[in-house]
Amino acid sequence: MRTIDVFYQGEGIHGIEHLEVGPDHTFTNVKALIVEKHGLQIDALLFIEDSEEPIDESLVVDSHAEQAGIKVHVHRCKHIEVAVSFAGETVHHRFSPGATIARVKRWAAEKKFGMTDEDAGEHVLQIAGTNDRPAPGTHLGALAACPACRIGFDLVPDQRVNGAENVIEDLA
Amino acid sequence: MTAPDERAFLADVNKPAFQLGQADGRWRILNVSWPFALISVTAKDGRQYVLRFDCSGYPQAPPTAGPWDSKLNARLAFDRWPRSRGGRLGAVFRPNWKDGTALYLPCDRLSILGHDNWRSEMPSKIWRPAEGIVQYLELVHELLHCRDYTPPLVTEA
Repeated sequence: MRTIDVFYQGEGIHGIEHLEVGPDHTFTNVKALIVEKHGLQIDALLFIEDSEEPIDESLVVDSHAEQAGIKVHVHRCKHIEVAVSFAGETVHHRFSPGATIARVKRWAAEKKFGMTDEDAGEHVLQIAGTNDRPAPGTHLGALAACPACRIGFDLVPDQRVNGAENVIEDLA
Repeated sequence: MTAPDERAFLADVNKPAFQLGQADGRWRILNVSWPFALISVTAKDGRQYVLRFDCSGYPQAPPTAGPWDSKLNARLAFDRWPRSRGGRLGAVFRPNWKDGTALYLPCDRLSILGHDNWRSEMPSKIWRPAEGIVQYLELVHELLHCRDYTPPLVTEA
């Protein structure tokens, strides 16, 4: 029987998790499995990755499945308040908890700070006040918990590995 | 009986973070012959570069990896390496570093030696055992998609 891979992240869930369901399972079924596995609240919302609104849980999983399966997020908040600072300016926006770091970076770098696609590629989001640079596929909701539901980033240049110019040869 | 480092590695490549990278076509595991693992990483032009990882002591010890020719079972000829336009990719894919056997990355076991300054200068690129092989692969994948990436001089045998 064909199964669909469900990759999910969520509030209070460490990293990326995975389960398999049948194509005729509904998103209600998916959420119930996640809630049971992680002891979450049943009133949590389920989002498709990078979708702004919660998914209609009566839909069957197959309706949104892609080649790699589906990517979802479970969170109690409907939105995450995001602030991104760059060159002394801070911009704000509300994203779905299932928004990826990659999407937030594109929004900030290209739409708000006017970078080209290539220039945006040379910058990364760093959680404000830390050295943490979440991977592009990380969901916002995995970084921000209810009830605060907010997070701040600095948009910083991705560093060139230092010393490459200074090392003449491998002498080891 | 498999050794603890091999068991830890195999457990990590079965975790969702690694499997999602495979499902998305970002990387693919080709072979494991402990302590070596061949993993291909997809560049922005669709080319796949195979890295041979030496994962001895994984995950407490970082892996070390360099471009590999899986057909010849030898280090990849330098004219088949991804090229740089003088930017970030070329600082990592350096044929003159360790004879091309290790990428010049802070999370690489051989390259971190003698570079304690990287721990404060580039803390996000220092090896994190809890994140494991996915951290190394994410960094390489990002480099192969940055604007500095240029296809190799030679593409066919």
